[in-house]
Amino acid sequence: MKSFVKIFGAFLILLGVGAPAHAELTIDVSKGIEVGGIPISIAPFGGGAPEDIAGIIASDLKRTGKFTPQPQDARADYSVTGQANAGGPRGYVVQFRLAGAQGGQLLNLSFDTPPNQLRPVAHRISDLIYEKLTGEKGLAGTKIAFVTAGGGFWVLVVADADGTNPKVILRSRQPIMSPYWSPDGSRLAYVSFEGRRPQIVVQEVYTGARRVVSAAPGINGAPSWAPNGQRLAFTLSKDGNPEIYAMDLGSQNPIRLTNSNAIDTEPVWLADGSIVFTSDRGGSPQLYRIGPGGGAAQRLTFEGDYNAKPTVSPDGRYIAMVHRRNGRFYIAALDMKTRQFRVLTSGGLDESPSFAPNGRMIIYSNGQRMNAVSVDGAVKQDFALPGRVRDPAWAPFGR
Amino acid sequence: MQYVLRTLIAAASLALLASCASTGENTETTTADTATQQGVADPSGQDVQSYPYGQAPDAYDTSGGVAQTSGGQSGQEFSGQGGVVGNTVSADRIIYFDYDSANIRAESRPVIEANSRALASNRRTVTQLEGHTDERGSREYNIALGERRANSVRQYMVGLGVSPQQVRVVSYGEERPAAGGQDEQSYARNRRVEIVY
Repeated sequence: MKSFVKIFGAFLILLGVGAPAHAELTIDVSKGIEVGGIPISIAPFGGGAPEDIAGIIASDLKRTGKFTPQPQDARADYSVTGQANAGGPRGYVVQFRLAGAQGGQLLNLSFDTPPNQLRPVAHRISDLIYEKLTGEKGLAGTKIAFVTAGGGFWVLVVADADGTNPKVILRSRQPIMSPYWSPDGSRLAYVSFEGRRPQIVVQEVYTGARRVVSAAPGINGAPSWAPNGQRLAFTLSKDGNPEIYAMDLGSQNPIRLTNSNAIDTEPVWLADGSIVFTSDRGGSPQLYRIGPGGGAAQRLTFEGDYNAKPTVSPDGRYIAMVHRRNGRFYIAALDMKTRQFRVLTSGGLDESPSFAPNGRMIIYSNGQRMNAVSVDGAVKQDFALPGRVRDPAWAPFGR
Repeated sequence: MQYVLRTLIAAASLALLASCASTGENTETTTADTATQQGVADPSGQDVQSYPYGQAPDAYDTSGGVAQTSGGQSGQEFSGQGGVVGNTVSADRIIYFDYDSANIRAESRPVIEANSRALASNRRTVTQLEGHTDERGSREYNIALGERRANSVRQYMVGLGVSPQQVRVVSYGEERPAAGGQDEQSYARNRRVEIVY
């Protein structure tokens, strides 16, 4: 059984001469339905709010692959009802109730909110329902950063996890690459080619303030934050070829961690301070691991002829990567516990994987569009956003 | 004509982009001007603009995909799917490479040798070698691969008597393709080093 679910998102792009064009947000959760999403009925919210709160909740829950929203009054294991009425100290009062099949109440909450926060409140409700019924934190309220380009500019965009509400936080006439969120979600490190040379910049998302943290001769690339938020790892080629460095953000003094004649790049941190990175020291690009202070590298990947751009699940269990076999590029995941290696996507030009903060989903670019896949390969999402989406990065929980 | 239309659309969407700050879902509405003032220009004075999240424009231009070439002042456009409009880096300053390779092909030697002779006889001239890759594979690994290509051209030049101080290297990886298509012919045009004076 293969069924595709299309959701026509309320996602508005302004194109050309002002006629608003609607892009559809297409979400394929076929395999999620196959394994049996939990049926949940979500009744339209009364009260006449300017957002379709029930529709947003249904879309959020469907996208997890764990729920199958049902029409009102259909048989379901759980039901959601609610109201969004004008009033209260902030403009609107949103009240909702989650009940089991026998009518037993599981959640009953209300929010005072200004009208422009109705959509975030709907995402918050989705996450409360998801967490109550699955025991893990939901992603509906999280954010995603990505790079796209057009009209002679590169832009760094921060959007909601469903692809709506895009905000251009940086616009440049030179390439922007490799955004990476700080662990508290307040800053983004990225590569900017402003001045026609690569530099690593840290930008405060909520103030727009930015600081160049590395502008060495040669490559300044692939920044990633240490779990404690105090250090960055990145790639410099100032000593002749690309090597991995770590730098205390207070010190401005990068410490070199690798020493090979090959390409070493794309470092990411594990919780214990060790670093996983891409290196072609063995002939083809593969993932390796070094200790917090460098030292001997241990090879982690052996499948296929190309494994690069690691991203680590928040619990450290999985490392997802770009994987090539027979000339096609896939997203694959290595289970660090069982050493099982699993190819997750159907392949093509897949690149730039980034783990969601709950470890369930991996967002990536298929060379054209932003996609997401669950770490078991069962749930797939396809986002139709304007422009070619590059380097998507899923923000941590927080704020 | 199509070009004029595209330019008009680009201008219109820029204007829209500016006005969006005041029409977005934000209650913290700002005019385009204040948004610009509140943004932070980059320290080196380049054409880059950041915005606080709460005042950031909520639309961006995706018309016809981007981009100047790497090659100095030259302008070059491509659409998202291909269709190169113009390429002003002349052929005698481009060296092409095989997939996954930084080896100099025999047919590229005359191009490098001609440029090396010019550089060796004019010690004051400084050139920039810009390394590029096709779009396949990881973006940051491609930055490293583009640098490796530029370095192999540089090494060849130095071997021919060019001073190392005359040759700078920068890699753009897959970020500035010469051809926008997703086919072998476009990929072959994108795997290159451009010699920029």
